[in-house]
Amino acid sequence: MASTLRLYLTCIRNTLEAAMCLQNFPCQEVERHNKPEVELKTSPELLLNPVLICRNEAEKCLIETSINSIRISLKVKQADELENILAKKFLRFLSMRAEAFQVLRRKPVQGYDISFLITNYHCEELQKQKLIDFIVQFMEDIDKEISELKMSVSTRGRLVATEFLKQF
Amino acid sequence: MMAAAEKFVEADNAEAIITRIEHKSRKIESLLKQNKPVEALKTALEGSSHMIRDERCKSANWIVVHRALMAIKDVEGMFSSLDPEYYDILMKYLYRGLSTGDRPTCDQCLRIHEKLTERAGLGCILRSLADTVNAI
Repeated sequence: MASTLRLYLTCIRNTLEAAMCLQNFPCQEVERHNKPEVELKTSPELLLNPVLICRNEAEKCLIETSINSIRISLKVKQADELENILAKKFLRFLSMRAEAFQVLRRKPVQGYDISFLITNYHCEELQKQKLIDFIVQFMEDIDKEISELKMSVSTRGRLVATEFLKQF
Repeated sequence: MMAAAEKFVEADNAEAIITRIEHKSRKIESLLKQNKPVEALKTALEGSSHMIRDERCKSANWIVVHRALMAIKDVEGMFSSLDPEYYDILMKYLYRGLSTGDRPTCDQCLRIHEKLTERAGLGCILRSLADTVNAI
């Protein structure tokens, strides 16, 4: 179990290291505009093959690269209804504060829980290795956070129920 | 007129390619029975670099390669006897395997991917991402 997680994260790390080769590229259609090509997808010659890395039926990671931007979309493991709701709320909380994260996308790509958009400007200001470390660390921490949240919800529910039923 | 003729040639070609893939599949089954998984994988990967445009041929070839990949138990041993010329094609098929989402396939592909990256380096991954002409 733990070894598949390690292999999954290694595979994603290696793919990101290879795929994160970004350079500045002004828009070809409109003068003086500079847009992330991976979002627009207007010119096929600027895009690389998108890569989908699945760990199992529930967890997957989609990496789409272009000449000046890379988009990484994650689907996290959600075992039951409670984890489903917790994951949605928690990741929505993070996505709303995307400005603070800089590399986060405000809305996840259709079919995924959270998305990152890294442009050449981010690669110039921030170190590429640290960006990749951040994303892999994020994936590890998400699972832990959601398990912690689930445990605290069950504990609180149990305490509330005990207190309430004491009066009967 | 020329396009119609080309389409005819493509269709015939597709049939020929599918027959070739079926031959390959039989050869691979016999190699697997003789306990030679690496030979089977080499046979499966050969001929994949020819420009197979048809979707059916690609799926048929993928099924054959998948069979050979799942039969591999010793990943280190496989790399010691696999020629480097097969690394790029193997990487493309690994990514196809990873996109299926089927648990045993993904486990196997992740295992082989780690070792292949150690052997072939990041260039191999980048070539599989950048090659839009010979997509598997």
